[in-house]
Amino acid sequence: MTEKQCLVKMTGITKEFPGVKALNQVDFDLYSGEVVALLGENGAGKSTLMKVLSGIYEKDSGELEIFGQKIKDWDAGKAKDAGIAIIHQELNMCVHLSVAENIFLGREIVKKDGRLDNAAMNEQTKVILSQLNIDLDPAETVDKLSISKQQMVEIAKALSQNAKVLIMDEPTSALTSKEIDELFKIIRKLKNDGIGIVYISHRLEELKHIVDRVVIMRDGCYITQMPFAEERMDEMISNMVGHEIKEKYPKVHCQRGKKILEVKNLNAGPMVRDINFDLYEGEIVGIAGLMGAGRTETTRAIFGADHKDSGHIILDGKEVTIRNTEDAIRAGIVLAPEDRKKDGLCTRLSVRDNMALPNLDMICNNFGVVNRKQEKELVDHAIASLKIKLAGPEVDAGSLSGGNQQKIVVGKWLARNSRVVMFDEPTRGIDVAAKVEIYNLMNELKKNKIGVLFVSSEMPEVMGMSDRILVMCDGRITGEFMADEATQDELLTRATQFENKMNV
Amino acid sequence: METTQKTSAVKRFVSQRGMGQVITVTVGLIIMCIVFGIINPMFFTYRNIANLLRQIAPTLLIGVGQSFVLITGNIDLSIGSVVGMSCMISATLMTKGINPWLAVVITLVCCLIMGFANGVLVSKCKLPPFIATLGTMTIGRGIAQIVNGNYNTDSIGEAAQGFRDFFYGGKTLGIYNAFWIAIIVWFVLNYLLSRTRTGRHIYATGSNINAAKLSGVNVDKTIIIVYIVAAFCSCIAGLITCASTGTGTMDAGTSYELYAVAASVIGGVSTLGGTGILLGTVVGAAIWGVLQNGLQFAGAPVAIRNIVIGIIVVVSVLMDVVVRSGKVKVRKHS
Repeated sequence: MTEKQCLVKMTGITKEFPGVKALNQVDFDLYSGEVVALLGENGAGKSTLMKVLSGIYEKDSGELEIFGQKIKDWDAGKAKDAGIAIIHQELNMCVHLSVAENIFLGREIVKKDGRLDNAAMNEQTKVILSQLNIDLDPAETVDKLSISKQQMVEIAKALSQNAKVLIMDEPTSALTSKEIDELFKIIRKLKNDGIGIVYISHRLEELKHIVDRVVIMRDGCYITQMPFAEERMDEMISNMVGHEIKEKYPKVHCQRGKKILEVKNLNAGPMVRDINFDLYEGEIVGIAGLMGAGRTETTRAIFGADHKDSGHIILDGKEVTIRNTEDAIRAGIVLAPEDRKKDGLCTRLSVRDNMALPNLDMICNNFGVVNRKQEKELVDHAIASLKIKLAGPEVDAGSLSGGNQQKIVVGKWLARNSRVVMFDEPTRGIDVAAKVEIYNLMNELKKNKIGVLFVSSEMPEVMGMSDRILVMCDGRITGEFMADEATQDELLTRATQFENKMNV
Repeated sequence: METTQKTSAVKRFVSQRGMGQVITVTVGLIIMCIVFGIINPMFFTYRNIANLLRQIAPTLLIGVGQSFVLITGNIDLSIGSVVGMSCMISATLMTKGINPWLAVVITLVCCLIMGFANGVLVSKCKLPPFIATLGTMTIGRGIAQIVNGNYNTDSIGEAAQGFRDFFYGGKTLGIYNAFWIAIIVWFVLNYLLSRTRTGRHIYATGSNINAAKLSGVNVDKTIIIVYIVAAFCSCIAGLITCASTGTGTMDAGTSYELYAVAASVIGGVSTLGGTGILLGTVVGAAIWGVLQNGLQFAGAPVAIRNIVIGIIVVVSVLMDVVVRSGKVKVRKHS
């Protein structure tokens, strides 16, 4: 693989959905042995462009050249045969089957008598995995593997089918930093082998490790491309959003008031161990840590979503009993959960239904009949104040963009006079503009003397938005800092402060 | 001014969620009626229509009950057995000389306990609904058989004439009471589902049980409620059955749970939960009844009726699937 070969050339690609021009005359190319980052806000058209490339969507117009050949008919099967593989954000695996069974799914090796040749498949799987330096047993069932290992199996599967072009959509969103390192090693290896990689990610800070070139899209249009250079990061961001974001984290300063929430000796399973902290009026407390540190579990335990083993929750000086989420909501403690699709949103229900759901106690009479006028006021007000762009409150909440979905998950709580609002990864997978709006919302709560507790895996975000930072590791709080005194190094040190298992 | 308000009300009615399938199947129902009317002019006589409405009543009731359960993403297989229980318990009590209205109350209590048990097994004990209600289905049928010592009952007698008129034979405003009862139950439950907090909780639970829980919805309670509603509807259907024959039959309501699923899905209630409206279930039940009645009129044997109804179930859901994927295709091309 000496000379760089043009793998993909897309020119003037246009794709329209009813009412939206998702792609407008977009150009894109990819050469062998390079990693191209495709950047843009949510809704910029990155995924649509890649779906056209991988044959999932049909283009309306434009030209597609694969390995120098003009393509006329194109569909997902042909793309796969040509060696274009896409690794989606949500992995597509049969989790009850083994690694080898997944890799050979649909093209199993069969002996002459019609029986499956498991030995041969396991053997070949081993070869593929070892080429990628992945240490896995081919016979292991996939649901026993971590997300990162599952992802690697998907990559191995693509390569076993002779993929020349690998499209990765937000591959690192569910990985820990160590796992990301491993993934990047594999990406570098593939690059050396001459495979062309398209890398879609919102995490700009990780690009420097692997990316050669960036292509920026905005509102369905190609904007610009440039060789990757760390010092041009601001330029990239401003190209993505179309206007410069002056202050990345719009932190406001408030006078710290009286204590709102006190959590004492909270225990809930192995991931929440002896948690103690306070929360005051006029401050945002961030909880930093690596994935699996027990931060989500802690917020869920406080909210009553999971069973607590022991501990006290003291709100405004009075101990409250929280056995379920209803108790928490009544007491004034609410949670905007991490996983929108799984925990946050009732898809197939309307935006109105979603917004009203936790607030039905406020808009129902004594017989439990919904007052539709009050409901409309509540929902309209929430939509307007959150600047959610909608055809109307009756649209299916699941059909909205990630940013708007997140605004609904967060916004449904704002109609209530809560005392404590907990946000779990509120900005994951949403575009820069929507992030800023979520930040502003948190600030608004802070100014209104509502306690804000905020879990995030993005260190700069925690440091930028919080007044005080708690660090968790392995189910315990391992550090507490004032935000202006904390450094990333210190936070990371505390976040990896695992218990010394030898002494136990 | 008034007309614009009127049109907007109509527009709102038509554009509410789940209306698409209801409109489609309503058109189907009308066509069906016209065809049967042409084949047999007797179809549109007052007498046949009155009978038809009375015939639909049990299907409508169990369909509504099943719809509640389906909207939460669960299923109730015990519906037919609860119909059988209701029929047998009420008839047995009446043949033993107990006041018919007291018998109705006792029957109702027994059936609601069954529904409560279903709800607890599915919500608190976390059994898969298919398995839990398969168990109670068998138990319920056993109870129906045991109450009168494994015999069908004798006639419930003269003393129960008032009961028979109230639930079946009597007419109000020219229409049999059985139909009125079903429609009143439907009306109340429709209000519950579309206008109240409990109704919202039912949809939310079926749409995303995690999100519902994290929004403060007591999902266990919601699931118990829908199973109790299903048992209530089945109980009323059983009382109507008892009143119609005047005896208790042990195999009353056999397979009704599946007819109930059919009425629901023809009307656009998804077995996946979260979607569907009870207006659809009415139309689904009506299609069911019209087919039975119309084909019988046309002289088709039972076997043919079964085959046709089976096809209708598949086609109506298939149509919905095709319409939906068609929409996606249109989007792709335009």
